[in-house]
Amino acid sequence: MQIDIHNLSFAYGHRSVLNNLSLSLAPGDYLVVKGKNGSGKSTLVKCILGINPVKTGMIFFDHEDINNFSKWPLFGYVSQKFEEFNYEYPVTVNELLSVYSLKNTNQSYRLKLLDQLGILDIINENINNLSGGQLQRVFIARAMLNNPEVLILDEPTASIDKLNTEYFYRTVNQLNGQGITVILITHTDSLAHMNYSHVLSLNLDMTYQFQVRDKCDLEEVEKI
Amino acid sequence: MILSFFSDLFAYEFMLRALAAGIVLGILAPLIGSIVVVRRLSFIADTLGHFSLVGVSASLLLSTLGVSVFFEEPLFLGLIFSVVGGLLIELFRRSYKSYKEISMVIVISLGTALSAVFFSKAKATGSIYTYLFGSILTVNNYYMYAILITFALVALLFLFFGKQIIAVSFDETSAKFLGINVNVFQLIFMVTLSVVVSVMLESAGVLLVSSMMIIPVAAGMKLGWSFRSTLIIAIFFSELSVFLGLWMAYSLKIPSGAAIVSVNIVILLLVASIKRIVQKRQIAKMDKETS
Repeated sequence: MQIDIHNLSFAYGHRSVLNNLSLSLAPGDYLVVKGKNGSGKSTLVKCILGINPVKTGMIFFDHEDINNFSKWPLFGYVSQKFEEFNYEYPVTVNELLSVYSLKNTNQSYRLKLLDQLGILDIINENINNLSGGQLQRVFIARAMLNNPEVLILDEPTASIDKLNTEYFYRTVNQLNGQGITVILITHTDSLAHMNYSHVLSLNLDMTYQFQVRDKCDLEEVEKI
Repeated sequence: MILSFFSDLFAYEFMLRALAAGIVLGILAPLIGSIVVVRRLSFIADTLGHFSLVGVSASLLLSTLGVSVFFEEPLFLGLIFSVVGGLLIELFRRSYKSYKEISMVIVISLGTALSAVFFSKAKATGSIYTYLFGSILTVNNYYMYAILITFALVALLFLFFGKQIIAVSFDETSAKFLGINVNVFQLIFMVTLSVVVSVMLESAGVLLVSSMMIIPVAAGMKLGWSFRSTLIIAIFFSELSVFLGLWMAYSLKIPSGAAIVSVNIVILLLVASIKRIVQKRQIAKMDKETS
């Protein structure tokens, strides 16, 4: 999916977070969004997902205005620390994934996906008994269930250890290799394990740098 | 005592009606209750109960004034007010996005105040007791029809949209990626919950209606390992408490809502205690094995 953002600005009340941001991503691109806390990383993602209403500027998906866009099943989203999810109530991995599968998703695809993510053996486990790393892969599986064209990951490694982080980035690279556009937000992770194509660096003064990989100064980006 | 209860159960029509109502509510309450728990709406059920009391008291007042509405059956006006209460909560929730509980305080206060005013002007105030604490033994045919229609509608809703209901309840943001309109869903669920609360009013009572929905689910959560198993266990506990509660209400001449909820609480305490003992033993066993 082609994603075009033109002169996007966003404010929470009187507090401006994004100012005049523009970028374009082609199908299969891998964008890493870097920036300090409060620089507007999650705000940008929420604008792209239509959670924050876009009033100033424009966002287009395959040349269709976001305000008229309805094909949201083409997006997969893993939110920051999975905080949106309601824990404690008993529910198995299989039940959870069945609920979020669209009608045309078959069981064999689901099993293949779980196998690819290394969590096939916990399919009948209650999600409340899973470790952070397992849970994170379950949520990626959920985001991938309906064959999305775009996968958006907001600080996905915040609650997992270093080993699982490396494993996770390998998985994201594989998914991107299959042609899925990836938008990944990270505050702390190194870009070393990522097959990114573009980097967006957001600054606290609302300036930004959008660079393709070849022209990107990795040392400078890692400092952010 | 138990034998005479069983013989009376099948000897009197009102007893059979109470049993039938109890069996249906025993499924309906935890079915809706499980979604209420997942969506963290337990206090909304309580608020709706209070607001539907406005309809019940208004109906009694109108009857005193000689105005006949809905066959002089308080259930129907209670149902309408319960839905109005649900819509008011949604309205206020959207005005106070960060302080959603304020909406419940406003609606519960309005409901209680209006009910008190209407009851004070109505003649048949003796029935306040019934509506506060429940009386499953006095349910009539209108009430049975209302329960059965509500049950059929809820069953159809779950049959066709169960997946979507569960998806939104666990995670509203991700439900959007299934193409679900979350606002429309919220409205449909609130209206359904309002209707269920109002039809449970007579047997459970205003003060205990939310308990009958929530406590069996709370006990099910202690033992369940999946959504399905938790729901089945909750329905089993709910039916058990309805049956034992019916027996207690008939034999001890106490309000049915109070009897059913008391049994529910005893079951919850037993389940929680047994689970704690089993867990402690397992930990002790593991400690012994590792040392």
